[in-house]
Amino acid sequence: MLCAAATVLAAAESDFHIPFEKYKLQNGMRVVLSRDTAVPVIALYVIYDVGARSEEKGRTGFAHLFEHMMFEGSANIKKGEHFKYVSANGGQMNGSTHPDYTDYFETMPSNKLGLALWLESDRMRSLAITAENLKDQQEAVKQERRLSFDNQPYNTAIVDKWPALVYGNFQSSHSLIGSFEDLEAASVDDVSKFFKTYYAPNNAVLVIAGDFETVEAKKLVEQYFGGIPSQPPPTRLDMTEPVRTAGKSEVVKDQHARVPGLVIGWPAPKRHSDEWYALGMLDSVLTGGESCRMQLDLVKGKQTVIQFEAGLGWPFESFNDFKDPGEYAAFVLYKPNYRAQQIADEIQEEIDRIAKDGVDDKELDRVKAVLRYSKVSGLQSSLGRAKLLGQYELLDGKPEMVDQDFTNLFKVTSAQIQVAAKKYLNKERRDVLVIQPAPPSPPATPPPAASRKEDAK
Amino acid sequence: MRPLIAFITVSAIAVSALPALAQTVDLTKPPVSRDPRPYKLPPVFETKLPNGLTVMLAEDGRFPLVTTQLVFLAGNKRDPKEIPGLAASVASMLMQGTSTRTYQQIAEELDGLGGTLNAATGADALTLDGSVLAENEEKMLDLISDISRNAIFPEKELDLHKQNRKQTMLLQHSQAAYVANEEYRKLIFGDTPYAHVGPTEESIEKLNQKTLADFRDSLLVPNNAYLILVGKLGARAQMLKAITDEFGSWQQKAVPAYTAPKLPESKRQLVLIDRPGSVQADMRLGRVAATYNDPAFFPETVGGIIEGGGPSSRLFLDIREKRGYAYDVHTELSALADGGNFSTVTQVRNEVAADALQGILEHLDRMGKEPVEKQELSDAKSYANGVFLLGMEPQRGLADKLTQIKVMNLPKNYLETYTTRINSVEPDQIESAAKKYLATDTDTIVVVGDASQIEEPLKKIGTFQVIQPEAPKQDPAKPNK
Repeated sequence: MLCAAATVLAAAESDFHIPFEKYKLQNGMRVVLSRDTAVPVIALYVIYDVGARSEEKGRTGFAHLFEHMMFEGSANIKKGEHFKYVSANGGQMNGSTHPDYTDYFETMPSNKLGLALWLESDRMRSLAITAENLKDQQEAVKQERRLSFDNQPYNTAIVDKWPALVYGNFQSSHSLIGSFEDLEAASVDDVSKFFKTYYAPNNAVLVIAGDFETVEAKKLVEQYFGGIPSQPPPTRLDMTEPVRTAGKSEVVKDQHARVPGLVIGWPAPKRHSDEWYALGMLDSVLTGGESCRMQLDLVKGKQTVIQFEAGLGWPFESFNDFKDPGEYAAFVLYKPNYRAQQIADEIQEEIDRIAKDGVDDKELDRVKAVLRYSKVSGLQSSLGRAKLLGQYELLDGKPEMVDQDFTNLFKVTSAQIQVAAKKYLNKERRDVLVIQPAPPSPPATPPPAASRKEDAK
Repeated sequence: MRPLIAFITVSAIAVSALPALAQTVDLTKPPVSRDPRPYKLPPVFETKLPNGLTVMLAEDGRFPLVTTQLVFLAGNKRDPKEIPGLAASVASMLMQGTSTRTYQQIAEELDGLGGTLNAATGADALTLDGSVLAENEEKMLDLISDISRNAIFPEKELDLHKQNRKQTMLLQHSQAAYVANEEYRKLIFGDTPYAHVGPTEESIEKLNQKTLADFRDSLLVPNNAYLILVGKLGARAQMLKAITDEFGSWQQKAVPAYTAPKLPESKRQLVLIDRPGSVQADMRLGRVAATYNDPAFFPETVGGIIEGGGPSSRLFLDIREKRGYAYDVHTELSALADGGNFSTVTQVRNEVAADALQGILEHLDRMGKEPVEKQELSDAKSYANGVFLLGMEPQRGLADKLTQIKVMNLPKNYLETYTTRINSVEPDQIESAAKKYLATDTDTIVVVGDASQIEEPLKKIGTFQVIQPEAPKQDPAKPNK
């Protein structure tokens, strides 16, 4: 079986790559093209170099509020028409706000490439910033917060409490969905300023993936985006974290939760460093696939954990959510007859055992097969390819990391995993947020954000 | 070898050539698009093994992957009345050990192949759904064959399954949307097998090796199954040989007959489930509706899109964009083998719960009273056809559609004719389908929210029966140490 896995990797490495070409417009906009004509669809992906970690004090949640404004119309597209143009032409669209980027995308039948470019360029050139649109979207975002966070188990603690616990710098520690108070305080001027500063072509990457002709696509990109003026590059806020030597812990009560949960995490090493890759492999050993350690030892063996998820970008989509600094974290739900402390210690024991004994070749090969599969599987859709190429260009200036990241991961040795586990995922640095089920608060009083310090560590 | 990456930082030629081109486009108008490039579905080869197992193969060599689905007509609707959730538990337990493989061996082998395998149920079918690096497809077939034929449901794994299933039940009931859907299904499907979406604490207790094995032995048989492979398959003869080697010796046997029950007549039912502390009201309203083989299905589909399919639908533009009541409001047409259900789903803040519901009811009723506009009809058709095409991009898209054809008993040419059938829908057909299936006088409405905040205002709509959710019995499992 060992041999079989090794053969697969060797064969697969040589025959599956994402082709792409990248260039820059005169106004500084970076363009990445990745052609694949198998199905007549295209994905257009525009990613801006600004996210929730660029928000200022008193304006938490603003990056996301702004993202909503981008769907409200521009010089040539009336309010509500953006949605209409996309769906009436057989497409799907969305946008999303992340800690370090914000993205917008359309997938459409491939003959609609020009339309998609027109829609994206019109709002980059001439967003409609009006008091009415702002008011509407303040309400929509507040409603989104109620739906996705305030009315759900765990999520409020995860979005509001976890960053506050583990980060010391406001840029990272504030709630990325924002408070109602800050959302309401946003003004039309704030929106204009944010637009001018961050939504300039030289602060964006455009990706087209799917069924297009390269010459035609380049011509269209130039026609639609070439005339949008560049802006002075934004001043980047200081994201440096204060040095801390010890982990932190907190316990919160959650009126919607019925099963106890905990988040456990450790400040992560620098993106793309050797240690970062080593932690990536360690994460796969612990939490990747069916046969990972958390599953075999804690869900099956000790039978204490019910469900788990983890990653270098957790609680966001992926490790591409954060430039530096980031945190490696896991979220677990566990049986109510155990204490949080026991669960945290059991997870720590798993890590300490890896630090002490390493990971044998058989297990490493298995983990590589899992990663290899997830890479190929995640790149099947043109939108999947466009997102990764765009994120890697924006964050690292290197779309080729779409392949290279895996190559680097596969080079990680057991010894490197041991070193990284000892240095980064040790008990002293560990952060723990315990989320305990609590009965609902009495009616007519706002739910108190009950929170107290406890020996969760 | 990796293709060379071209770093073209604005070269002289490019710059001088481009301004001229830039003048040719009118930035104030959407461009006129050329004709769409047609898409031809990959041909599907279908055959049947002597033991009755239907096999479908579709070559899709774009990625070094194969998707394998082994589908049994053994969904939740085949649960015995006293053990809701049995089919789903059989599915999970298939993966927990066979006569020759322990759970750990299955898990390690699967990961080593570079693949995933999930076993799950819907209302109509139980599906083993695998995906693997193409080189290892034959080994995946071996694993799937072993799991579906030789699972032994080990006692220790079953105990754990029961403990954890109770915890996941608690988890599901902490989500308002789940609670709303569970109650809604119960109300619209009444006494029929589609009424339940999960187990009960009592039914979990009834799970034992025998109940699981009985279900498996009677329904997971080759003549009640479809094996669907989509991906980089290679030579057909070799693939068929591998399939025959793995599944050919599987004994067929008579499958207990299933007669689709008559679904209950829809009637107005108003239920409010109290969820103290809720900051919004989760609503699901709707009724039994047309499914695939009903002539009203395509008109109902297109009507549903106009009403609440995506961000340019009537409900989205009014309830969310214009009135700002909700972040999400959409319609769902859930088409099952023996009947469909058409529902509208939203979550709104407490203060506007009644107004939002009123608005939704008016929209739904209007569609059965006046013809849809020409433009919105053609937009909705484009949307449906586009979504269909986009769904074909990942390999799983085609596999899921082939499964759907078999489970829902659709005509062979369903996929080839889908777009034509969408395009042929006329406004009067939508109006009459809407009168029958969207009009709200016989709708069931389930609201989950803080009764102290919303019960009074909802009286504007009607008298809601208020249900206090039963406090779940905490069943502290014995600590395992």
